[in-house]
Amino acid sequence: MTDTLIEAHGLRARYGRNLALEGLDATIARGDVVAVLGENGSGKSTFLKVLVRIIPVAGGELSFDGRPLSQIPRRDLARRVAYVPQSVDLVFPIRSLDLVLQGRAPHGRGFAAETAEDLRIAREAMRACDVEGLAERDAKALSGGERRRVFLARALAQEAEVWLLDEPTAGLDPRHRLEFLETLWRVHRERGTTVLLVTHEIGLAARLATSVLLLRAGHTVAGGPRSEVLTAENLRRVFGVPFEPRGSGFAMASGVLPGGIPDL
Amino acid sequence: MRIVSRGPALAAGLLLLAAVLIAAFSVGGVHLSLSDLASGRGEAGETARMLAALRWPRVLLAALVGACLALAGAALQALLKNPLADPFLLGTSGGAAAGAACAALAGASPLVSPAAAFAGAAAASVGVAALARRGGRLDLERLLLAGLIANAFFSALLLAAFSIASGEASRTMLFWMMGSLADATPGKVTALAPYAAAGTAVLVAAAARLNLFAVGEESAAALGVDAERTKRVVFLAASLLTGAAVAFAGVIGFVGLLVPHGVRAVAGNDQRTLLPLSALAGAALLVAADAVSRAALAPAELPIGAITAALGAPLFAWLLLRTP
Repeated sequence: MTDTLIEAHGLRARYGRNLALEGLDATIARGDVVAVLGENGSGKSTFLKVLVRIIPVAGGELSFDGRPLSQIPRRDLARRVAYVPQSVDLVFPIRSLDLVLQGRAPHGRGFAAETAEDLRIAREAMRACDVEGLAERDAKALSGGERRRVFLARALAQEAEVWLLDEPTAGLDPRHRLEFLETLWRVHRERGTTVLLVTHEIGLAARLATSVLLLRAGHTVAGGPRSEVLTAENLRRVFGVPFEPRGSGFAMASGVLPGGIPDL
Repeated sequence: MRIVSRGPALAAGLLLLAAVLIAAFSVGGVHLSLSDLASGRGEAGETARMLAALRWPRVLLAALVGACLALAGAALQALLKNPLADPFLLGTSGGAAAGAACAALAGASPLVSPAAAFAGAAAASVGVAALARRGGRLDLERLLLAGLIANAFFSALLLAAFSIASGEASRTMLFWMMGSLADATPGKVTALAPYAAAGTAVLVAAAARLNLFAVGEESAAALGVDAERTKRVVFLAASLLTGAAVAFAGVIGFVGLLVPHGVRAVAGNDQRTLLPLSALAGAALLVAADAVSRAALAPAELPIGAITAALGAPLFAWLLLRTP
């Protein structure tokens, strides 16, 4: 018996003028780590943005903890669901600690967050994400890996039970990627956080995720436990190139790379 | 990173403004001795009182106009996440001037001019935002180009109004185009004050929400802010402040660009400090600029817009060079 937290049926949403989701189905249980896989433009990021009400639901059903999402006040939702954007460009200087304190905004009066308790939680979140040493630094001047972990600390300070991460490891070198994943995994284990992870790394999904959601052109191709969903056949249907099992994960099938590029 | 606490920063801002107000009060074509004014006896006291009665509306109007423009600029910069946002550069001031000029040309009472200026400013904001929007976000380059287009359009409107108007009316048009505090009256000060207070109250109340826009609109929405509503409220309040300032002082450029950058360099980018401090510093800047405009070529006056542009244009150039 699983405890369903998020349920979507025939979910539709617009991004700009186009329909980015045109019938997404998903059932996500509390405590799951869900890898959301699919081609560019398949609606992965849109799904995350719909879940935090950045993008409104245009049709179908979407419920969170048994209630229609659209009926949950924004602020209540922000106390329960944290969103970590794919990339941010900061224009004005901002202290890393202040960035992490933003996570306290949904909990504070009038979005102002700096009670002693807020500060304690923010500093503790920074410690958990190994960025306490960066607290006084300008977040604009941090490296990509450092900045990702500062944003992870912001999500942690939000004390939400669900994390939505949009390609959190994209563009990170192997060491920073590893450090980021270690932190994510540790926090998930300690707090039982439900995680939705948009990623292009099939190997990562194969190892980290408990369940997988495969999207193509705004539709769900398959969703469920990793071992059932992550098959060569499903991956071929989603990405349109042949895959084969390799080690503990999958790789593009041998012989598909053109013109004598050595096999990856 | 430099972080200053709000209380001392605001106290320092108030002190600065008070000092500038007192200094500007005594500066001008004729020196006003504050001790003569205070003693108030004899011929010297009489002269001092007359001078003071003439000068205080002008000094206070400068303070209110400076506060309105600086605050509007600071709020727009935070909302649009754009260091080049400024009511003058984005065409909001031009729209306000055109609105006020058209109302005056149509024979409306001067009492209507703040409303007409506000309507013009709001129309300019909406138009510029619509022109600059691409794929759901406000593009930085497009925003500046849209401001350029709006300014060209509104200055054409103003020039047309100027040539149609005759006599006294054409002088009024010129006033809106060039910007001036020379026609300050106690009535103008009391008329502008409620607009300034209302706009300030709305924007300062939105400061904590505006802080969350530093990472972007989507991030603010994900933290529980009704981003669309905040955008509308801030745009309207900034238009109201700009419209009110322009209705009573014409177009004075660069205040909304200069002041927030100066304040940010000293006090950081927390909007809860930056917004009120920008209002105080904007007031001080324009009072000082007005004092210079009265004293530099006395008895003639240097246009105040020339002074703010002389300060603002180099900063604008520097920002442009620094912006990737």
